[in-house]
Amino acid sequence: MVIDPLVSSLRIAGSGLQSQSARLRIVAENIANAQSTGSAAGSDPYARKTITFESALDRASGENLVAVKSVGVDATPFRTEHLPGNPAADDKGDVKLPNVDLLFEMADMREANRSYEANLQVVKQSREMISQTIDLLRT
Amino acid sequence: MIGALLPLAASAVQTLTTSPAAPATTASGASFSDIMAQASGDALKTLKTAEASSMTGLEGNANVQQVVENVMSAERTLQTTLAIRDKAVAAWQQISQTAI
Repeated sequence: MVIDPLVSSLRIAGSGLQSQSARLRIVAENIANAQSTGSAAGSDPYARKTITFESALDRASGENLVAVKSVGVDATPFRTEHLPGNPAADDKGDVKLPNVDLLFEMADMREANRSYEANLQVVKQSREMISQTIDLLRT
Repeated sequence: MIGALLPLAASAVQTLTTSPAAPATTASGASFSDIMAQASGDALKTLKTAEASSMTGLEGNANVQQVVENVMSAERTLQTTLAIRDKAVAAWQQISQTAI
């Protein structure tokens, strides 16, 4: 079966849209949990999540789609703050806070946004080219 | 919705192609009308997928991207079917208006 390259590019851009939305989801989790401490005294707080992508070959059509490779955990050390009144404070009164840096998350969010827009532009363009071709029948 | 419209267009194409082109069986065995019937069947399937996925999308149980992709492919299929039907009708009219 021959697949129209324009239709293929629609599908590929669609996979890009899905990956970028998954990335934005991870950013949202990180930002929302930027202050989440552990539940027990001295326990670890929320660890920042990372996301990686990989190229996924669709064997039926030969399209190189993009897929989420893995959602990992950032290994950078946690911040500590001296807050003796906090339920998660250890015996010295130190509380471990998540290793989420809002500046990084903002940059990541902006990059996801730009990449999403680029994929949308591909969808728009190939859709326009397809309908222009179909319009040839209508002269 | 759109799915209700397409059977009309598809059956128009099918009746058009079966009546004048029935004896014109190609060398490969499949006649033009067979090919058209299969194509319109595929088109119907695309439209039904789009409708099902737009329903799950309305309920909030599907990816927005997936729903949009399916609906766009249905739109494309419908436009192609309509354009081909118009061409077939025009051809049929030209044949019927031929002076004998």
